[in-house]
Amino acid sequence: MFQIYLPIAEISVNLLVMLGLGAAVGFLSGMFGVGGGFLLTPFLMLSGIPPAIAVATGANQIVGTSVSGTLAQWRRGNVDLHMGALLIAGGVAGALVGVLLLKYLRGVGQAGLIISLTYVVFLGTIGALMLWESVNVMRRQRAGKSVSARKSGQHNWIHGLPFKMRFPRSRLYISAIPPLAIGGLVGLLASFLGVGGGFIMVPAMIYILRMPTNIVVGTSIFQIIFVTALVTLLHATLNHTLDILLAFLLIIGGVIGGQFGVRAGQKLRGEQLRALLALMVLGVAVRILIDLVARPADIYSIIPAAGG
Amino acid sequence: MGVSRLGLLLLFVMLLGGAARAQAPVPPAPVVKPGTSQEKVQADISTRQITIQSNFTGIEILIFGSVDFSDARMPASGTYDVIAVVRGPNDSVVVRKKTRVAGLWINGPGKTYTDIPSFYAVLSSRPIRAIASDDTLRELGIGLSALDFSRDTAGSPQEQSFKSALIRLMEERNLYTVNDSGVVFIGRSLFRGTVALPVNLSTGLYLVDVYLFRDGDLASRTNGSLEVTKAGMEATIYNLAFHKPFLYGLLGIAIAVLAGLMGWFAFRRD
Repeated sequence: MFQIYLPIAEISVNLLVMLGLGAAVGFLSGMFGVGGGFLLTPFLMLSGIPPAIAVATGANQIVGTSVSGTLAQWRRGNVDLHMGALLIAGGVAGALVGVLLLKYLRGVGQAGLIISLTYVVFLGTIGALMLWESVNVMRRQRAGKSVSARKSGQHNWIHGLPFKMRFPRSRLYISAIPPLAIGGLVGLLASFLGVGGGFIMVPAMIYILRMPTNIVVGTSIFQIIFVTALVTLLHATLNHTLDILLAFLLIIGGVIGGQFGVRAGQKLRGEQLRALLALMVLGVAVRILIDLVARPADIYSIIPAAGG
Repeated sequence: MGVSRLGLLLLFVMLLGGAARAQAPVPPAPVVKPGTSQEKVQADISTRQITIQSNFTGIEILIFGSVDFSDARMPASGTYDVIAVVRGPNDSVVVRKKTRVAGLWINGPGKTYTDIPSFYAVLSSRPIRAIASDDTLRELGIGLSALDFSRDTAGSPQEQSFKSALIRLMEERNLYTVNDSGVVFIGRSLFRGTVALPVNLSTGLYLVDVYLFRDGDLASRTNGSLEVTKAGMEATIYNLAFHKPFLYGLLGIAIAVLAGLMGWFAFRRD
């Protein structure tokens, strides 16, 4: 009765399941302050949506959630426009490369493998680092020792790079190359995995660029709007893999779920949140890895030839 | 099941059959082996036009018909056999086989099949091999083993395993079906059979061939067609996505931005 036929994915899905999936991912992203694409896209694939359509539609959904997220951050003055512009410029280049790379890989039938491996490597690394860091913080707090604050102003290797620019909002004077490179990597991941890339951009901005933490989240989510919008447009134009109806259901669920997630997140402490998020990230990575290693139910597969 | 209800059904089927005959004349000169018999088969499909809309979850169609000048003395006497073949529009697909490389299951080189039917259903009153010889079936293109991938399969065992994998995968998706008891005779000359069209149907023209066999020989044949199209919102979205993809992408972004703005506005507390 609640079945709805998706015009591009060409399958029939349950309306409530898709709204619920959007809401659940929205809740988590609101709670943890991440885009949630790294959860949404694998979940869509698991529920039978073809991978290429899951990636394009996931990107479209992230546009919606990052618009509401950015507005909230913008009003608190947490967006560094200079840094954002550089990250977007890098992201545009990365997204273009990623979409073309995906098109090529689909032609030779390795898209699924490379997407899965990239997920495993990135989610596994980030998840393990986050878990290690948050467990350490919790242990030290339990032992009663003071937690050392981030040492700002410390010089590292990026200060030796040329093309230095001033970023007044972040109070930084650094080379333009690292932000461009980070933006490029995030754009590549966005077009390739259907994720916003916040899970890699936020740690990179904190640990490599040494931006103030409060500016990091706002600037990252600001960049994500533009890069995921471009990714949506590129996939829709080049691959015809965007399902607007599915994206609409996910966005409606996501916007509502996100608001409740923000409230739930405020009740948990930072390191607890990070440990929980780390466990979920690791869980998704392990789930994808199992699919790669376990003997498949059928070693043959078919895909439409025209889709590549 | 009361006798009266069966009678009503018969009447209904006859009326439908009559109406169909009036609408669509049977194509001329069916290929009939000489010197066999006078009987002719007439058939039609319950639905000529299938529209895929947002509530589409698959559909069952009825193929019904009658044997004119039937020699059968009583119902289910087994004088005649009917085979109906439904064939969807052609598609090209790539079949890939995974192999284990360094502990991971990786797609090997694929094999492309151009022009294979996107849907293929055979329903018959008895197993088709009991109805006619393999040669006859192959000649008429009836049955999964008679599916013509000849241009793509050159008979080596490797090719053969790809072909059977393709057929198996299509069967798993309910796109290829064989139903040995799918056609049922009602009375002396009426028959009916149902075909389930799954939700993952390709759009286009579906051809329906109905063959009448007597003692292993083709006695008569007829054909018809049905068209599967997307309609309403589904058609609008589909056409936009494939004919105006840039506009479609912009529309997707606009909807997302609007929903994001609305969500922020509805829930903001500052």
